[in-house]
Amino acid sequence: MSSKPYILLVEDNPDDVELTRRAFAKNHIANEIVVLNDGAQAVDFLFNAGRDGRQLPQVILLDLKLPKISGLEVLERIRGDQRTCFIPTVILTSSKQDEDLLAGYRLGVNSYVRKPVDFNEFVEAVRQVGLYWLVLNEVPPTTAGGANS
Amino acid sequence: MADESVLRPDLSLVLERITDGFFALDAQWRFAYMNAEARKLLHAREEFLGVFWLDAFPKARGRLFEREYRRAMRDQRPVQFVEYSQTANRWFEVKAYPSPDGLSVYFRDVTARIEAQQEVERTARRQQALIDFGRSALAGGDHELLVADAIELVREALDAQAIELFRYDRSTGAFTVSSALGWEAGTAVAWDRPPLEHLRYAVETGEPFVSSDVRIDARARSLAVLASAGVLSCVCVPIGTTNDPLGALVAYHPKARTVSALDVRFVEAIAQTLAESERAMASNRRTAQVLDSIRDAFVAADRDLRITYVNARMAAFWKGAPLDFIGRPIEHFTAQFHDDGVAYRRIKQALEEDRPLTFEIPFNERWYEARLYPFSDGVAAYVRDVTRRKTEQQRMVALNVELEHRVAERTKQLELANKELESFSYSVSHDLRAPLRAIDGFSQALVEDYHDLLDEQGRNYIDRVRKAAQRMADLIDALLGLSRVARATITFSDIDVSEIAQEIAADLREGEPEREVTFEIEPGLRARGEAGLIHAVFANLMGNAWKFTRRAAHPTIRVGRLPGGEFFVADNGAGFDMAYGNKLFGAFQRLHATDEYEGTGIGLATVARIVRRHGGNIRAEGAVGAGASFFFTLPVAEDPSETR
Repeated sequence: MSSKPYILLVEDNPDDVELTRRAFAKNHIANEIVVLNDGAQAVDFLFNAGRDGRQLPQVILLDLKLPKISGLEVLERIRGDQRTCFIPTVILTSSKQDEDLLAGYRLGVNSYVRKPVDFNEFVEAVRQVGLYWLVLNEVPPTTAGGANS
Repeated sequence: MADESVLRPDLSLVLERITDGFFALDAQWRFAYMNAEARKLLHAREEFLGVFWLDAFPKARGRLFEREYRRAMRDQRPVQFVEYSQTANRWFEVKAYPSPDGLSVYFRDVTARIEAQQEVERTARRQQALIDFGRSALAGGDHELLVADAIELVREALDAQAIELFRYDRSTGAFTVSSALGWEAGTAVAWDRPPLEHLRYAVETGEPFVSSDVRIDARARSLAVLASAGVLSCVCVPIGTTNDPLGALVAYHPKARTVSALDVRFVEAIAQTLAESERAMASNRRTAQVLDSIRDAFVAADRDLRITYVNARMAAFWKGAPLDFIGRPIEHFTAQFHDDGVAYRRIKQALEEDRPLTFEIPFNERWYEARLYPFSDGVAAYVRDVTRRKTEQQRMVALNVELEHRVAERTKQLELANKELESFSYSVSHDLRAPLRAIDGFSQALVEDYHDLLDEQGRNYIDRVRKAAQRMADLIDALLGLSRVARATITFSDIDVSEIAQEIAADLREGEPEREVTFEIEPGLRARGEAGLIHAVFANLMGNAWKFTRRAAHPTIRVGRLPGGEFFVADNGAGFDMAYGNKLFGAFQRLHATDEYEGTGIGLATVARIVRRHGGNIRAEGAVGAGASFFFTLPVAEDPSETR
């Protein structure tokens, strides 16, 4: 419990990773951002040895189109496991296909944000997401306890 | 009793007076006495007395007269008999009383009685003959045999010298001999100028022609020539009717004589029977010809399922001569099908249930269709080769299966293609946007982080890069929308079009509150369709109108419905040149420069596609600087006054 709350970004596109980092920085959100580049890494990080004893992230930003294991499948695993099921998870994607939206919400995503092309809008979106999930939102007490037991 | 003076004068007086003929022969068979009646009957003279009786009447030799007289003398017992006298040409009833001295013979003329008797017998015989003849004609046997019988019957009945049967050809009027009996030197038509008048008469009048003496017959002088062949009288009766004359039957007689009405009627009856037989034969022949000429094989069987008729084709089908089949059980032949008796049972079934039946049989690697028709006396079957139809059918079935298979295949391919298209558009939406975001994001980063290193021109370029990226993102979204319209399933519901138009107008005003645009939206507009898509139609069209009225003096946008039923969205904006009107509804088609009026060029294509997917049509009218109007049809909602 000693380490600070951090953000888990599951994103395979290095450009998007860089832009997201930049957007967080521009909004003066200093929380650490842990980046994983595909779904398999994310699963390994969350449920297996990949996390190396660290606590679970404060919020997960999840792209949908990921190598190896898709974002929706990662989401399903998160929600299907007692340890991770309450972690706030936000889909951050280019797609606004009806099917993706429906599937995301059906699997219990907390929020679905489409990445705007316009960087200024993107910065604004990241600002709101960060502000909301990192500052405003209260997590249920079991999350931290359950995750670390 | 006595010697030559055997008869006393008083006795002879008695004998002279009796009505019977009487003569007496002495022991040496010499005439001892003959009364007047006897002399008259026998055309005898006084000189016969003392003459040996057979010398006086040589024609009696060897006949009953001689035989009976000898018997009487031998046995010394009276005899009685009836015999025809060729000397007198009369029938005599004779009673002879013998004595050792000689023979007393009484006889009287019984010709009338005998002839009457003979006439009765003859009539009875003829009637019987006619009955037999008619019966054999009815049995439908060989017509040629019947003709031979007829000729013999007539010859016998009329004691004719010759008989001829003529066939008459109605179209040419010619007579030809079809049968003849009794002519040795040839037939009547063998003469250079054959006598035909009697034939013509019979055929034309339908009456018999009877000539009692051909030499003096005024009606048919040509007949006189017959005398040279020994014919003196003739009877000619027509065969058939005046309406349908078939020929004539002629009996020739060597003597001039009157022919009795009875004889004539007899010949007429024979002729009539012949005519009927001939007609029946012709009818049978026609039937057979018809049955032989039809392409179907034909077989008929009686109620015991014995074959009564096969046509040529059926005979060939079962490999036999037509006559071999008659009377044999049809089962013998259906066995050839090796069908476990199926065909035979169907035949029995048709007969028992008294209804037509049709079934198919494979035989010798071909397919046959048998149609069974029961009738009062049995059952008839037509058998037809349906191999072509059958293979055609099988081909069709196979083709259908193949076709269904192909349709299924194609459907699967289409579904696959659709899936691919979906994943393609997904990739477009996701993957094409990511680089754009990078372009935009890093351009912005350049401006922010390296502001001092860029001059005004540099910043302007970066601004252009960002605008281009944004525009491409808009294009991608518009394309995705267009493809979504194409794939969307449309659920029809009642839509309040006026309300939608009002909402869109409000949105547009809110987007640019500084603009003053007049909206004229007809109230109460309703349609049926997919609400989201109909909304897109009006949003696009009204959005265009909003855009293109930007430079109009008094921008006005009207939404309504024409009396003819077309919806319309009209404005008084920039308009367009009708010459390019056909380009309006194509994707990426633009009639204005991008910097003049922004837009993706996909909106109208999407609108047109939505309208068409609702079964409607769209058209546009406009002129440069005089506004544009879009007219389109949509399924119309039921009259609200009715649903209320």
